[in-house]
Amino acid sequence: MPATKHDMAKYVYGVVSTAASPPKGPGIDDAPIGVIPHGDVAALASDVAGDFLEAGREELLRHSRVLEETMAQAVVLPMRFGVVMPDEETVHQRLLDPYSEKLKAQLEEMDGKVEITIKGIYDEAAVLREVIAEDRAIAKLREAIHGKPEEATYYQRIELGELIAAALEEKRAAAAPQVIDRLAPLAVDVRVGEPVHERMAVNASFLVERARLKEFDRVVDQIGAEQAGRIQLKYTGPLPPHSFVELGIGG
Amino acid sequence: MATAMQQQPYRGGSGYVARSSSSGLYDVLELILDKGLVIDVFVRVSLIGIEILTIDARIVIASVDTYLRFAEAVNRLDLMSTETQGLPELMEGITEGGASSKTKGMLQGAKEALFGDEDEEDEKEPATTKRRTSSTSAKRRRASSSSGSSERRSKSG
Repeated sequence: MPATKHDMAKYVYGVVSTAASPPKGPGIDDAPIGVIPHGDVAALASDVAGDFLEAGREELLRHSRVLEETMAQAVVLPMRFGVVMPDEETVHQRLLDPYSEKLKAQLEEMDGKVEITIKGIYDEAAVLREVIAEDRAIAKLREAIHGKPEEATYYQRIELGELIAAALEEKRAAAAPQVIDRLAPLAVDVRVGEPVHERMAVNASFLVERARLKEFDRVVDQIGAEQAGRIQLKYTGPLPPHSFVELGIGG
Repeated sequence: MATAMQQQPYRGGSGYVARSSSSGLYDVLELILDKGLVIDVFVRVSLIGIEILTIDARIVIASVDTYLRFAEAVNRLDLMSTETQGLPELMEGITEGGASSKTKGMLQGAKEALFGDEDEEDEKEPATTKRRTSSTSAKRRRASSSSGSSERRSKSG
């Protein structure tokens, strides 16, 4: 059912300076991206149906691409995915007006900086070999179970797995600083995230000046080479500074 | 070791770092869902079939399924011809070990959440279908953890 003009709402992608022009690429539901200016700052937004409540892969990609395209030509403060305001008036009242000073300050602060995320994933076989070699209890339990039927060793297997998980946790705690401490001096700011995967050794976001990006990349490559065969590093970016923006109150 | 290295799917500038820009959705999923400016009351869009992946991966780290899978993985270690297998083959070997088929979906869900790009490269599966399927199975698993074989997702690729 096509929504009438009255039913439209505003999907907000991010905040830019009033001087920035909106990206050309279409937004969610192929709607053109417009700016909602307010003093020195402006919201990047497009029209969505008033009953726009559910989204999938396409919408996530659009959100991400709009920000990426904007970022190529201007500083952008990204919104989290899924912010829909009923109308332009609300965008002024609830976002641009109350936070205008904060937004302006952050736009200045983020000028020339990008976010890079670094994830490190343990090579399973390599890290399990380390764990067996370093932990007597694990090695012994593994030998005790080895070759026996699964049904007979169910609880021992859980115990073994739990010991391994704990050992991995210790390794993680040691490995993360090894990577992060080397990169942090090259970054303006760092956010360390929780592992979102059982073999994730490192999950961190770095705010890096574009001017220092080459240097940063070189150290990432060095660490990657040192950890080869043990931890696979995954580098994502440059991205808009998702992890480094905030409104202060209420999120 | 050299052989295993050659089979790594992605190579960055030095050959050891996997790189992507934000165009790889699953590399930025965590960021665009969890980070950025937000006025909570206006976040009203819910995601279909995708959002569960990262959340589920967190839960998975401390679970009996994970423990059993680790146990199975160390149990198999010496059965492998040490360094000749690359990671994808290795993981296939482990998941198909039959210790607990329930762990299979879990592993693949997490694997896809993290290694999605490589998988697409290796297996040429349509990404959308795969994502939705895996997150659906993650949801089901969570909804009824004692579920039987009908809950499992069979993997074609």
